[in-house]
Amino acid sequence: MLVFSSSRWDPAAAEHVEGYNRLISRLPGLAGARLLRIGPDGPWRELGFADAELSIPVITEGSAEMARRYGVREGPAVFVIDAAGVIRWRHVEGDALATPDDVARALASTSGDESHASGTWTRREFVATTMAAAFAIALLPLTRRANLQAQTSAAALGAGASDTVAVTLKVNGRELSLQLDPRVTLLDALREYAAMPGTKKGCDHGQCGACTVHVDGRRVLSCLTFAVMQQGKAITTIEGLAQSVGASGDALHPMQQAFLAHDGFQCGYCTPGQIMSACAMVKEPWGAEDNDVREAMSGNICRCGAYPNIVAAIQEVRRGKTSTESGASKGAAT
Amino acid sequence: MIPFDYTLATTLDDAIGAGGRPSTHYVAGGTTLIDLMKLNVETPAHLVDINSLGNADASLAQVSDLPGGGIRLGALARMSDVAWDSRVRGRYPMLSQSLLLAASGQLRNMASMGGNVLQRTRCPYFRDTATPCNKREPGSGCSALHGFNRSHAILGTSEHCIATHPSDLAVALVALDAVVRVRGGPQGGRVAERTIPFAEFHVLPGAHPEHETTLRHGELITAIDVPALSFATRSLYLKVRDRASYAFALASAAVALDLRGGTIRRARIALGGVGTKPWRSHEAEHALAGKAATPATFAAVADIALRGAVTHQHNAFKVKLAKKTLVRALTQVMA
Repeated sequence: MLVFSSSRWDPAAAEHVEGYNRLISRLPGLAGARLLRIGPDGPWRELGFADAELSIPVITEGSAEMARRYGVREGPAVFVIDAAGVIRWRHVEGDALATPDDVARALASTSGDESHASGTWTRREFVATTMAAAFAIALLPLTRRANLQAQTSAAALGAGASDTVAVTLKVNGRELSLQLDPRVTLLDALREYAAMPGTKKGCDHGQCGACTVHVDGRRVLSCLTFAVMQQGKAITTIEGLAQSVGASGDALHPMQQAFLAHDGFQCGYCTPGQIMSACAMVKEPWGAEDNDVREAMSGNICRCGAYPNIVAAIQEVRRGKTSTESGASKGAAT
Repeated sequence: MIPFDYTLATTLDDAIGAGGRPSTHYVAGGTTLIDLMKLNVETPAHLVDINSLGNADASLAQVSDLPGGGIRLGALARMSDVAWDSRVRGRYPMLSQSLLLAASGQLRNMASMGGNVLQRTRCPYFRDTATPCNKREPGSGCSALHGFNRSHAILGTSEHCIATHPSDLAVALVALDAVVRVRGGPQGGRVAERTIPFAEFHVLPGAHPEHETTLRHGELITAIDVPALSFATRSLYLKVRDRASYAFALASAAVALDLRGGTIRRARIALGGVGTKPWRSHEAEHALAGKAATPATFAAVADIALRGAVTHQHNAFKVKLAKKTLVRALTQVMA
């Protein structure tokens, strides 16, 4: 969880203490935890809670850049980020900080998504996963915010252009509301602002295919389009590929399964782009031969040279033989 | 990349109203423009997104029939839409082939017809702001003349620029006598539509390589019309490059033959990868008319098509390569 607060933060203020206690006590497995200690002042301050191995690191300096990266310009904001680094919930608009009840509901829904039926987090799991995902409260003092806005204005004056704009993207069936500079490509929006790093940045100039995603069902290069241009489109990334064909839990898309079965990679960096490209290619009117696959996939470069196995994987899917029954679908809850 | 402001145009009038401002670019697929913006080669202050214009007027984004058997390519139609269109494949095989041999599957899903014919050269000096380039910075000099010029043009060059026009599609379009339809202009607003014959759309570099087309600032391509050409059913686009796929042409040929018996009545010939603009060779076409379709005829015609080629240190091989490419294309299209 990340919290951006626009007022000078006094961790010991009574209303804050009450807020933490209400928030923490709402979290599954943490009923009864109370704020116990506040660490010494510094770049990081820790909030410790009684009856919990939980402490919350609080970033008190250098957070203007982080706020900007999350598209926060003014007013308080709260982000809930899951253990995979995906932003699951945000509260950016408005003058009021999200209530502890709001945050607790978001956290509960996050746990439900992650193969925990719902609200069945143990305290240990909760602590481990959320700490790994940088469970933090960040403070953005008013003075730093003013500096940030001054810098942005100066840049805008210099070039006769712009500020950030509100951008709503529909990624893997979920709506993401971001505040972005128009220069942000779809690729950077996914990786740097929506915390979905599955889509890879290779050349960043449309020459390697690593950044391939689907827009309205067609494969495109996310590095050569601005995020602001892709509003209203259905965007699918490697993270949402399996669910796009109805797979649940840890089950893979047949193409992912085929890449595993045929060793269609070595280092794996080009693989998300290869798989996204391959899934779209099988729906295009190419011929049936291996050479047709090579031609259709020529926009995806593999530095390791796994091409023969990539072709084999794609041909297996095109011929309708899948290997989805082998071992990879473990622990699917539903 | 310098900051810009972004406008989403929803109607054609909105788009050309916004597009006439100074330092303004239209953006459709963005595959050339955004690449060059990242390199600071293109530095627009305003971007007008025209991708939604198809919602108000679907024909802008579609392939449609013209009276008399021709075809209209909406400016926003994507390369893949046109390449796979059954009418295009049936009536103009060279057009479909020029598209499928260009770029990659992903890029073809993005790049539009209008953007394709406006794409900038791939000359590495044009793309590198650390080197002089008359096209990018008029008067700064040409780095390619005495630099590494293996990929550069041998036809239509000047002492100011030897950059190759990169489009495959444009080679097929110039062979097919296509016509570019445009709207708008410096004043924006409701300027009447005008048409530009494709052969007059691109211009030779001469002393001003920064001027690449006869399109005026603010004008927006709405469609490219391809007139009926009965013998284009016997047409071919052959592309020769350093690798088998996903590379720009070292040499290419778009050919169509009107054959009766073993005699050529009419022909269309255009070359790519060797010219500073899409290179139509009327001389070669005239030389083919009335001749028997034999290897000797094709070889003689190839000599005519490459007459006047000017080479530089690393690209002399292109003369022979272009001739052989044209001969092979003519031979294959007979089959």
